[in-house]
Amino acid sequence: MNSGPALVSILRQGSTLIASIHTALDDSELVRFRTDLVGQIGEHRCRGVIIDVAALDVIDSFAALTLRTIAEMARLRGARTVIVGIQPEVAFTMVRLGMGTGGIPTALDLEEGLALLTGGADGDRRRS
Amino acid sequence: MTPSQSAEDADLAGDSGRRLAGEDLTELLAIVRRVVGARVGSLPIAEDLVQETLTRVLAAAPSVDPGLLEPYAIVTAKNLVASMWRDDDRKRRNQHRAADLRAPESPEAQALIDEERSAMASALGRLDEHERALLIEHELRGTDTRTIAEEEGTTPGAVAARLSRSRARLRVEYVLGLDSGDPPTDRCRPVLLALSSADRRRQRELDAATHLFNCDFCGRLSEPLLARGQRQDGVLRIPIAADPDIVKARGSVRELAGRLGFSRTDLTVLATAVSELCRNIVRFAGSGELLVELLEEPRPGVRVTARDRGPGIADLEAALRDGVSTYGGLGLGLPGVRRLMDEFAITSEPGAGTTVTITIWGKDPTT
Repeated sequence: MNSGPALVSILRQGSTLIASIHTALDDSELVRFRTDLVGQIGEHRCRGVIIDVAALDVIDSFAALTLRTIAEMARLRGARTVIVGIQPEVAFTMVRLGMGTGGIPTALDLEEGLALLTGGADGDRRRS
Repeated sequence: MTPSQSAEDADLAGDSGRRLAGEDLTELLAIVRRVVGARVGSLPIAEDLVQETLTRVLAAAPSVDPGLLEPYAIVTAKNLVASMWRDDDRKRRNQHRAADLRAPESPEAQALIDEERSAMASALGRLDEHERALLIEHELRGTDTRTIAEEEGTTPGAVAARLSRSRARLRVEYVLGLDSGDPPTDRCRPVLLALSSADRRRQRELDAATHLFNCDFCGRLSEPLLARGQRQDGVLRIPIAADPDIVKARGSVRELAGRLGFSRTDLTVLATAVSELCRNIVRFAGSGELLVELLEEPRPGVRVTARDRGPGIADLEAALRDGVSTYGGLGLGLPGVRRLMDEFAITSEPGAGTTVTITIWGKDPTT
């Protein structure tokens, strides 16, 4: 999907798309990632999207906004989004900065994220 | 070159008795042509060899038996051809030795040297007599600081300090001389001097960083002065012009602050704040720069100054209020940075640019 060494990989597992960000992305790369991901949701008829941000050392206001936009776009396309792998320092910074991921479900890691998506109601309860 | 040797010997020894008849010569010429042609083919050099052979045969003719003139000519021709091949071969084998790998001196080199010399001369001329004498004594004559100190009745340390001040001034005068322009403002020279001597206190007093950013003249001249001392200084200038620079700046700041032993959380907080500031530069001003300084007093800290010469912010208060965004962002940029940092200062002049200075102090684990 991208040119050059993959900054992001998007894999399909069943009806779930797993997007892993491998390195720090700049703004234009984030926007391209958003476009690619939302495009693939339709292509693969996915019900769920997991975005793994464990490799992001910084989630600033633009990155947070992009994640929220992706989740909202995915929702409109009929897929639920879970963000996984937010680092503890990043979480701390996001809270201090005063931004969150809005209402996007989050999970500790990929495994939890998958469980959340496949578990349905069960997962929802765990989130709250 | 045996044939040539023998030909000359023959010439020396020979008497001018017999002469060659015209038809004999024509006959010889044909033979020599055939011999040379058989070995060299129709190369352009063939005719040269033929002529050379004939010259030698003619020179030797008086001392050679007329009946043996024909074989003599043939042998001479063969020898000439053989020595030509040998010479060629030797040249080929040794060709690499002839290559001069030094770059040819460019025509402007001398002009550059002259220019440098005159700049240095004018720079030396602008130093006061005492400084000049000291520099020449130490740098050219190689007198060590101790000897100079003894002569003047001071300490080597004092001499070294004076030397370094003189060198700093010389550097400033030298770049000014090379540029052959007068500094546009009164502040330029003191600022350049403070930069040249890497005197950070003086730089702060003069607010050198702001001056450098606003004064193109000093910005240009300061490059060679700053290039000297940047590494040991713990000061980093990062130009910001496009999206990828944001990620790079984030990394450099994190790396620099990491040297102070900041916690991972503080590093992330700092990197996030830097990211927001850089984004503002790219979005609103197009380009600008970050100045990262490591602070030591009263605690280890990092100060980042983000400057641009963009349109400035008309309503600072609105820009610092949460949720006000001008480009469809979260509106958390500046207020968020203010929340993240220990110190935050912003100045902005519509039409002239914006400067944001943020500071984060290392956290004392006991508090």
